[in-house]
Amino acid sequence: MLGVISSLAIISAIPIFAIIINIYSEGARHLTLNFLIDLPPPPVSGKSGGIGPALVGSLILTLLAVAIGGSIGFFTGLYLSEFSHTRLAHYTQIFLQIMVEFPTIIIGLFAYMVLVAPLKRFNALAGAFALSIVIIPYIALNVREAYRSIPYTLKEAAFSLGVSAPIAYLRILLSTARRGVLTALLIGMAKAAGETAPLLLTILGTTFTYFGGLDQPINAIPLLIYNFALSPYERWHQVAWGAAAVLLTITLMIFIISRLVVREVKV
Amino acid sequence: MKSGRIFYTILFFFVFTSLLIVVGVVTSLTVTSYPIFSRDGLSFIFKSTWNPVKEDYSILPALLGTLITSAIAISISTPLAISLAVFSIEIVPSKFRAFINNISDLMASLPSVIYGLWGLYVLAPILHQYVMMPLHHYLGFIPLFSTKPIPTNLFTAGVLLAIMIIPFASSVIREAYNAVPYYLKEAAYSLGMTKWEAIKTMLGYIKSAIFAGIFLALGRAMGETMAVAMVVGNTFTFPKSLFDMGYTISSLIANQFPNAEAYNYMIPALYGGAFILFIVGLAINLAGLYWIKKVMIKS
Repeated sequence: MLGVISSLAIISAIPIFAIIINIYSEGARHLTLNFLIDLPPPPVSGKSGGIGPALVGSLILTLLAVAIGGSIGFFTGLYLSEFSHTRLAHYTQIFLQIMVEFPTIIIGLFAYMVLVAPLKRFNALAGAFALSIVIIPYIALNVREAYRSIPYTLKEAAFSLGVSAPIAYLRILLSTARRGVLTALLIGMAKAAGETAPLLLTILGTTFTYFGGLDQPINAIPLLIYNFALSPYERWHQVAWGAAAVLLTITLMIFIISRLVVREVKV
Repeated sequence: MKSGRIFYTILFFFVFTSLLIVVGVVTSLTVTSYPIFSRDGLSFIFKSTWNPVKEDYSILPALLGTLITSAIAISISTPLAISLAVFSIEIVPSKFRAFINNISDLMASLPSVIYGLWGLYVLAPILHQYVMMPLHHYLGFIPLFSTKPIPTNLFTAGVLLAIMIIPFASSVIREAYNAVPYYLKEAAYSLGMTKWEAIKTMLGYIKSAIFAGIFLALGRAMGETMAVAMVVGNTFTFPKSLFDMGYTISSLIANQFPNAEAYNYMIPALYGGAFILFIVGLAINLAGLYWIKKVMIKS
């Protein structure tokens, strides 16, 4: 029986290795500097091309999402940890736990109603808004863990210095919980960089310009992979594999950094 | 003291924003989908037509697609997830435990579009040639396998989902297994149990955690969009076998939304589908959270 368990466990780990190997063997040969900068190639011709606009778009969207979702999530998490006895904290916590499990496409539908339908145009801001909502619960719940793990005696000591609450929480205690908070932000960043479903309903993505303003459509790497992989053109499939190698590299880098920052993390 | 008050105001502001967003999401679903429910009532759920030209929408095939793919996913991933959790705790040398757990966490954090791309171009052809064709050939008389398969269909989507949700179920089970009191393990071995018998006893002890893990993973499977949209075939037909091309609710939204604005009732219909998905998902997740709570009280 132990043999059966071992082989089932090994079977369940095979796909991740297969994915990494397949993505790099198909995509790595596209990874040149020009691939990261250039506009996508035309669908039928041997011309070279890249994922420049999507990479720029992904950077902008991810940074905006971490800025918005990070601040909301951080303060929410701080509140959940330090005021856990209040009724507000109790219900917020339940809401967030449900929100983690929300299908992200539903969040895209919400962003569409709030920011796309009124402006009558797919736009970058709606995408960033949707991504921040996606990552709020992850950041909040991880920040809560970070602050909760601070020993109570340290909290007492901080407040016994007679400093005001913001200094106690944001300078003294934050420096103790910084690894946990940083991990929370990294998890949020990885999520925002790889999330696709809400972008489909908010930024549209089929643009060949790099960046035209927050009220204009924009592209993102995950969306480009989806659109190009389902297109009928072989040349675009190649670009999709290359883009997947880029996205996988970004994901792996964030993952490794977050492991180096702290050993035991809750995903 | 003044800075303290400002700080608390800011804190409350952000907490309320989080709450407001959750309320806003639910409200926007309800309000936007209202026209389709008031026009068609329950026949929106229980019919199986999707005809934009006649503005005639219903989602039964997509709902069935969601249920079928997640049922496949759960039945494949449950034994694998339990094995992975037990393997990482009981069998693997403790040096490699962190490595196995890292692998499992990495599986959970890969973007779903990467799973989708791999599923479409690597997994689907393999499944088609080595699993679906033989099943159809030898067991085609069973209705489940009666359709002549092409690579992208409900079955492929189910298998891909199974791969994606293993780490979620596995990490819940792993945590619960680690939290089993040590004396229980000692007691098991002191009764002369073999390792396998001890493992069985421990798994029995954390039964509710296993249910919790399965339900949370099920919630994931039902909501997953991109990977499924890439391999499920995107065809609006009433599914008659596992090898039919189909839709799930979320992939229906992903696939149809880009041209929804051209029609009067398609946007309400898609929001209506999302609303149903939300209700079903909420029920499943609450069940999962309830079981987790039970485990936490116990240990």
